[in-house]
Amino acid sequence: MSDGDGREASGLGGWLRGWRPAVSMASRNLRRNRVRTVLAVLGVCIGVLAVAALGIFGNVLALGADDAIGDIGTQVVVSPNNDAGVESLSDADVASIRRAVGEPAVVPLYSDSATVARQGDQTFATVYGIEEPALAYEAAEGRLPERHRQGAILGAGIAEDLGAGAGDTVEIAGSQVRVIAVLVESQTFSPVAPDDAVFLPESAFSADGYAQALVVSDSGAEARAAADAIREAVNARQDRVELFELAALVDEINEFFDLLSTFLLGLGAISLVVAGVSILNVMLMSTVERRQEIGVMRAVGVARRDVLRVLLAEAGLIGAAGAAAGTLLTVLLVAGLVVATPAVDAALVLDPTNGYYLLLALVFGVGVGIVSGAYPAWKAANERPVEALRN
Amino acid sequence: MSGDAVPDVEARDVEAPDVEARDIEAAPDRTRDTAAGGDYAVELRDVVKRYPSGGGEPVVALDDVDFAVRPGEFVAVVGPSGSGKSTLLNVLGLLDDPTAGQRLLDGVDVTNLSVAERTRARKESIGFVFQDFHLLPTLTAVENVAMPTAFDAGDASGQAADLLARFGLGDRLDHEPSELSGGQKQRVAIARALINEPAVLLADEPTGNLDTETGESILAEFERVKSEGVAVIAVTHDPLVEEYADRVVDLTDGVMTGGLPTDGPPEGETGDDR
Repeated sequence: MSDGDGREASGLGGWLRGWRPAVSMASRNLRRNRVRTVLAVLGVCIGVLAVAALGIFGNVLALGADDAIGDIGTQVVVSPNNDAGVESLSDADVASIRRAVGEPAVVPLYSDSATVARQGDQTFATVYGIEEPALAYEAAEGRLPERHRQGAILGAGIAEDLGAGAGDTVEIAGSQVRVIAVLVESQTFSPVAPDDAVFLPESAFSADGYAQALVVSDSGAEARAAADAIREAVNARQDRVELFELAALVDEINEFFDLLSTFLLGLGAISLVVAGVSILNVMLMSTVERRQEIGVMRAVGVARRDVLRVLLAEAGLIGAAGAAAGTLLTVLLVAGLVVATPAVDAALVLDPTNGYYLLLALVFGVGVGIVSGAYPAWKAANERPVEALRN
Repeated sequence: MSGDAVPDVEARDVEAPDVEARDIEAAPDRTRDTAAGGDYAVELRDVVKRYPSGGGEPVVALDDVDFAVRPGEFVAVVGPSGSGKSTLLNVLGLLDDPTAGQRLLDGVDVTNLSVAERTRARKESIGFVFQDFHLLPTLTAVENVAMPTAFDAGDASGQAADLLARFGLGDRLDHEPSELSGGQKQRVAIARALINEPAVLLADEPTGNLDTETGESILAEFERVKSEGVAVIAVTHDPLVEEYADRVVDLTDGVMTGGLPTDGPPEGETGDDR
């Protein structure tokens, strides 16, 4: 240690100063065998690309799934249990459901199907009767009324099929109805699929009871609690209702995507490990070739620590250059994918969580360089100069 | 190292009667040596260097060597190949430790130093000149000269440029070794050896790779270096080096003749005979 006393006195500044000549020497050494250096950098670049691209890929998949599942995790659909002879939900059922769930909104629905037409286009759609659409849905166009008394609300899919917007008139089961709003596309796979449905006021239906009731919660946990409460209260004596709830399924789907992300990252990490081995190889070769030079440095009084710095700087530079190139390449690749594939939602790709994978890959790249360089550097720095100088 | 040291100490203990006998015999000289320890830039006392050889008897590279060089003295060490000359330089240059005996640098005992202490002592007190020059190919002349101090505070490149100018390389400061001739490379190497104003300059076949004329000019540089009070020790096969040396020391099979200056103990006279 004593050969560093003078410098240790100046602390961090001295420690940093030692790195400047080390990095300068390291970069020149790397330029001596450009092909070898470029190949090692390429190895890290590919490893970083693999980690970053696969990480982002997994993340985009998970985000996309999250998006597609949408509200479904927070919704519980209550239907009459036909097997028990219950044909519809009565007002008493709805009231007991409301009592059971407490906080979450309960939106009962009448249901029927009808032909919906506009200017020659026509389609067969589910028609729901709903009193409080604003509790369960959002409008993309127009406004959802507190109490739905007149006009039709179109699902996004059917509005597109018919080319209808708010203010237009459509023909539903033979009568002309004005469209007051179009819903936001939901992409869910709930039994109540609003995209291809039409929502009319309850007054348009003359049924005895409701076909379904939606329980809209704020979170998956709340939805699960609501479902349990309904099972306990409404189904206490007889299974009057069937419940369709996806909160648990959503959890499992999320777990699956977490696993998928980890798996993809693992795949990427393998290529980064291969890159690390190539750095190890390059550094070992290079230190063996430069054995005498390192011996001369040690002989003329360069401390082991400083030789170590030069060699670590070489490996670190390879790692950093490869990581930077790999990160840049990932950004270009992902950007190219978004441009070339309309199916990929740009908003998902630009999600800030993807930046985390870029950063992770960058840090891994530099880290792999330093870790792989550590052994050859340590070995070379600790060789006795008298051995290294021997011809 | 300590694993080596233990049997060495035992070996010394076994030899103890010899050492004592020798001490009694040379008592007056020894007193003078100790008193005038500072007189010598570098000194070896009773140094033994043994290398373990595969299973058999250890190879004795230096056999009870007494060697001393005064500041400003130019000593040539000659002898057949494999006679221990390189070992001598390594031991003198703190690249290798003696198996037994004492090593002094500027009158200070440097026999047993840690790796870091040896590195620092080499940097501060010893300059190396090699047969193959051993310049770093990626560094310019001036950077090669300043290399021993590259990791220290302060910038030695001004001093390095002055040294190169002194050796007539003022117009070659930013040339890389590949752009220099052999003689120029060796001058850069000498400048590198002098960057920390060492007490001792150790040269291993300094003219071995140079033609006679260039060799002569390098030896002239050594004369200059020595006139500045640096002890110059050159291991050589070159008769030209012997001509320039103040003293020629013979090393054969690890046994040294003429290791001490001529006005010293009887061994000096042997050296004079050469």
